[in-house]
Amino acid sequence: MNASIIGQMAVSGALMGLVYALIAYGFQLTYATSKSINFGQGELVMVSAFFSLTLTNLGFSYWFMVPGGLLFGALLGLVVERAGVRLALEQKSEGWILLTIIIGLFFFSAAENIWGRDDRPFPTPISADPIHFLGVDVTRLELAVAVGVLGIMGLIELFKRRTLLGKAFEAVSADRDAAELMGISATRTVMLSYGLSGAVAALAGILVSPITTVGPTMASAIILKAFSVAVVAGLDSGFGVVLIGMFLGALESLSSYYLGSGWREAPGLILLILALAVRPTGVFGKAIIRKV
Amino acid sequence: MLQVEDLYAGYGASEVLTGTTLTVKKGTLVALIGANGAGKTTTMRAISGGLKPSRGKVKLDGQEVQGLDASRIAQLGLAHAPEGRKVFGPLSVEDNLLLGAYSRLPRFFGFKAKAQADLDRVYDLFPKLKDRTSQAAGTLSGGEQQMLAIGRALMARPKVMLLDEPSMGLAPVIVQEVFRTILRLKEEGITLLLVEQFAKSALEVVDYAYVMERGRIAVEGTPAELSRNERVIAAYLG
Repeated sequence: MNASIIGQMAVSGALMGLVYALIAYGFQLTYATSKSINFGQGELVMVSAFFSLTLTNLGFSYWFMVPGGLLFGALLGLVVERAGVRLALEQKSEGWILLTIIIGLFFFSAAENIWGRDDRPFPTPISADPIHFLGVDVTRLELAVAVGVLGIMGLIELFKRRTLLGKAFEAVSADRDAAELMGISATRTVMLSYGLSGAVAALAGILVSPITTVGPTMASAIILKAFSVAVVAGLDSGFGVVLIGMFLGALESLSSYYLGSGWREAPGLILLILALAVRPTGVFGKAIIRKV
Repeated sequence: MLQVEDLYAGYGASEVLTGTTLTVKKGTLVALIGANGAGKTTTMRAISGGLKPSRGKVKLDGQEVQGLDASRIAQLGLAHAPEGRKVFGPLSVEDNLLLGAYSRLPRFFGFKAKAQADLDRVYDLFPKLKDRTSQAAGTLSGGEQQMLAIGRALMARPKVMLLDEPSMGLAPVIVQEVFRTILRLKEEGITLLLVEQFAKSALEVVDYAYVMERGRIAVEGTPAELSRNERVIAAYLG
């Protein structure tokens, strides 16, 4: 096998892996503020992609459709928070696990009924022509994924570090009760985190759809890998999910090339099992040490 | 400025506070002393909203605030520097201070400029913090974290400040520094309710004190009165 094919496979896979990273980042956002995650996040990705497709079919331009889709995703995130998470958290129960799964199933059925079961192409003005870059061919679509993922993650990180609201977000994640004593409403901060997480899921859907097509089951494989990335990287490092996401993407692309496409899902699952056995807090995760 | 009337609160079925009543007048420094488990910290938490009282009233500047969310009570002008300091460990010293003023700052941009005067005041009060503005708060020593917790509460320009066990777990030299700070806050006219295990030191600085026993106020008075009270001498000053 020659090196350029390996390089080509690794780069395409790594770029796809950024989508897993973005969805995993969405898990981190809500975990930070509320120690909860939306187990129906894949359905948010899918429903937002369908909604964006509808906007496109209605004649809206791509650059109008993207913010529209993100806004829709944010709204879905808020719905999940209100219907599935808030009450459970107030009662300090783990009910959000089941509730977010159920809300996801509901979104899934709704999507099947509204948009049908078929996979559909997702039009985009970004061409699929390859550009030659450092010895490998990269399509503009793949580059758009990289720009979109790193762009939104960069923006959210800037927001968290440079604005007072973002710092409040970090404060709630560090110590919810102390944050409340500063006049920061933890409930609103959790809402904000679910809104952001929903927008991030929508962007993942919009970026990946031109490559995978849109259908009710489009996110079911992706979401499993996003979970793997989140668990392997840990739930607090944005940098970690990017790195692990790209690594996993490259690994699965190489294994499907060398071992056959049936082995595509294997590396993610092996990585997941290894991580849980060896380092349950994640490679980039912090073990929580509390001084009393 | 702060009135607590017949307050009942607790955890689950067990009531810790059974009718606590106290008053902190504007510009005064008042101590709440008592044995471990008497309900001092529970009183503080019930005032600031971390714990919802089951009965009774808490009035802040005449307004009833019992039952409101802690964040709402903070916005109304109560700053609580909690037991165990509870600084935001991963955030920088300066970010901790800025968040102290969260209620009255713009949420996105220009918040630092607006808080600069208050930052300078806190750094003036605690020069050690000024050398560490960008250091993560969790890496500070216990004494420095306490200074930060007090500074963070001051940033809010509160009507009333609650200070819970500021000397807990600190070396004696640092405890003296904490008490000097408390005296300075008093001179600046800040209305302060202090919970303190070192009853003797507390009585040297406060205007008035309440002694708590089993969830209610057992004795109250000026430090002079309390230091003549045989029961208080036997239990706390002996």
